[in-house]
Amino acid sequence: MTGIRKRITIGFFSIVCLLFISGMLSFLELNMLSRDTGEILAANQRNIELSREMLDAAHEQSRAFTRLTLHHEAQYDSLCRAGMNRLEQTLETAKKEAVDKSTLDSLSIVTTELRLLTDRFLARFAEQRAHEQRLAIEAQQRRLLEQIDTLSVILPDSIRQADSVAMVQSGRSLSSAESYLAEQEQHDRIYHRLTSAIQNYMTSAQSSLAPRTEQLRKNAYRAVTPVLISLLVMIAIVLLLYYFMLLYCVNPILRINRALGEWLQFRIPYRPKGEFQDELKEINEKVETMINLSKQTQNNR
Amino acid sequence: MRFQVVIRYIGLVLLIFAAFMLLSAGIAWWSGPDSSYFPLLLSALLTALLGLFPTIFVERSEQISSKEGYCIVVGSWLVACLVGMFPYLMWGGEFTLINAWFESVSGLTTTGSSILTDIEALPRGLLFWRISSAWVGGIGVVMFALLILPSMGRSKKVLSNVELSAVSHDDYHYRTQRIVQILLFVYVGLTATSTLLLKVAGMNWFDALTHAMSASATCGFGTKNLSIAYFNSPLIEAVLIGTMVIGGIHFGLIYATLIGSQANIWRSEVTRTYFAFLGCGALLIALSLWFTGIYPGFFSSLRHALFQFVALTTTSGFATANTNLWPSFAIILLIFGSIVCACAGSTSGGLKMNRLILAFKMLVARLKRQQHPNAIIRVRMDGVLQEDEVVHTAMIFIVTYFMLMLLGTLINTLFGDDLLTGFSSAVACLGNVGPGFGEVGSMSNFAAQPAVLKFSGTLLMLFGRLEIFGLVQLFFIKWWR
Repeated sequence: MTGIRKRITIGFFSIVCLLFISGMLSFLELNMLSRDTGEILAANQRNIELSREMLDAAHEQSRAFTRLTLHHEAQYDSLCRAGMNRLEQTLETAKKEAVDKSTLDSLSIVTTELRLLTDRFLARFAEQRAHEQRLAIEAQQRRLLEQIDTLSVILPDSIRQADSVAMVQSGRSLSSAESYLAEQEQHDRIYHRLTSAIQNYMTSAQSSLAPRTEQLRKNAYRAVTPVLISLLVMIAIVLLLYYFMLLYCVNPILRINRALGEWLQFRIPYRPKGEFQDELKEINEKVETMINLSKQTQNNR
Repeated sequence: MRFQVVIRYIGLVLLIFAAFMLLSAGIAWWSGPDSSYFPLLLSALLTALLGLFPTIFVERSEQISSKEGYCIVVGSWLVACLVGMFPYLMWGGEFTLINAWFESVSGLTTTGSSILTDIEALPRGLLFWRISSAWVGGIGVVMFALLILPSMGRSKKVLSNVELSAVSHDDYHYRTQRIVQILLFVYVGLTATSTLLLKVAGMNWFDALTHAMSASATCGFGTKNLSIAYFNSPLIEAVLIGTMVIGGIHFGLIYATLIGSQANIWRSEVTRTYFAFLGCGALLIALSLWFTGIYPGFFSSLRHALFQFVALTTTSGFATANTNLWPSFAIILLIFGSIVCACAGSTSGGLKMNRLILAFKMLVARLKRQQHPNAIIRVRMDGVLQEDEVVHTAMIFIVTYFMLMLLGTLINTLFGDDLLTGFSSAVACLGNVGPGFGEVGSMSNFAAQPAVLKFSGTLLMLFGRLEIFGLVQLFFIKWWR
């Protein structure tokens, strides 16, 4: 490596490189930190959204289930299914997005229990409804036939038969109502556990915020350290550059200047102290040659 | 003194460091890449820039003075310790500023003490850097610089004289360049052989390589929290005992033995004393363990006693047992082994066996002189007459060594250590041994020590590694002119 220009260029290029590295590091690390912070906040918000969605779905399913068990309103079975499906879909989404899936374990178990109960209940309800419809049609057919054949003669018998059918039906309804109440109680228990599990899921994410913030603080420390080290190295290199420029550029020029001045003013022999390199060595040699030439010219005169 | 020349050679040493950091970054990349990849890569880049910069300006110097040589060696150690902190600091975890400095100095001086409570939490790249820094430190940072700088000419002589232990370079009857080649041949050969044997003994390749590097450097850094006790394998322990014992012998003598020279390890008085010391010490400790019933049988006692005594005497510091539970007699013997340590010209630290033999012979000579005042009694070692200057230097070293040990103990006890912990940690740091006793025992470390004691411990490590006088010289301003 020779030449002042090359040395200084490489020196400054190194500093520029380090500046670039420090700048890029700061940018990257701050970006990462910002992303981490954003991720934590987004995860937190997403957790609240998912919990709300699951609670809504559970509530919808529960309301439909209650209507079905108490009032046997058939139009609610699709609503019950829809609520259940919505709950399961939200749970699946939460599972996919969760970092720690173990927080969703209990929720998954309760949801599965609720699904089994709902399916069983809806199947029974559908069966019951089909049976009642069949009985109703049969009774109506019989009634019509009887009305056509002997409307006036067997009217009292017909009334008795209809009463007995109604009694049978009401008896069946009574036993079904008891069974529905049992299902409803079971559903209530599962629903209670489900809402508790959703609350746990929500609070677990909230309670993990403190350690994650602590981790964020550590990450911030780690983010700053490489930049600080790069800056320290850069300071060391700048100091070295200053020292080398003084040693190899500034001091030799001053020495040559002083020696040349002394020769010009007092005719003290030109002998600058120290060693020279690169172009300064050439300048020194050229000055010596010029002085020798000047001396020769004076001698010749 | 030409500072620019000193800075240039320190820069070259930094370039070697950068190469090892890059190698560690390669291992980090290969392992995933794991979380240490980026810190190691960036550290390598910064270290390379810092090392390369002086070479741009300063021309190669054919000759360097002895003062410059001292400054290069001591400066290289100090700057290498500072640069060695970079990967730790950037990685974070348990590495605060003082912890990173402690780990860096402990590795480079081959002390092997640690501040990590969970070593297994470190990624592979950082584990490798931790141990490779110790491996580089084992042979001496400057020795590596000498290998890759064949054009340095006479300057090699000055640097190797400073770098090698003061009592060791008289034994080398080779040219300086040859010495460097011998050192590296033995060092690399020992590491490679040990790696293969450890692999055969049941370790995986990574553990085998890292433990072989650590044992060859007589450092004691490992990859497991329980050190060698984790493996619980007599075969692995046997291989490591062999590596540590060889790592504690004069490398020139090992080379001479390998090439069939007459001046081999079996003829060396120092080596024979070293073997006898190891054997007797281990046997006595085994007997004390057997009598106290700590281990079920004599051979079990001998297994642990031999491993621990060799580990401490060679300044490796690996552990297979909690020596804090051993009887006082065994602890005293282990501390004595930590003070005396192995032979000069090896990678081990401490007082060195050569100086102990010299001191003993001086004592005998002194007694004879009292009996026969007019007799001319000279001290000989391996049949070679020892110069008065060598003998006096050895004596001054021993006295200074004990003074520093006392000072270290005082500082440790001043900041709350009990006597056993304070004394043994001073011995362990100054001798580059690693584990002490009490709170810094074989199954614990320096993590719980206050920051000031961690720092004073690193100073003792540097004093021990640079054989005291090298570092002391730097504190005299007049010497710099």
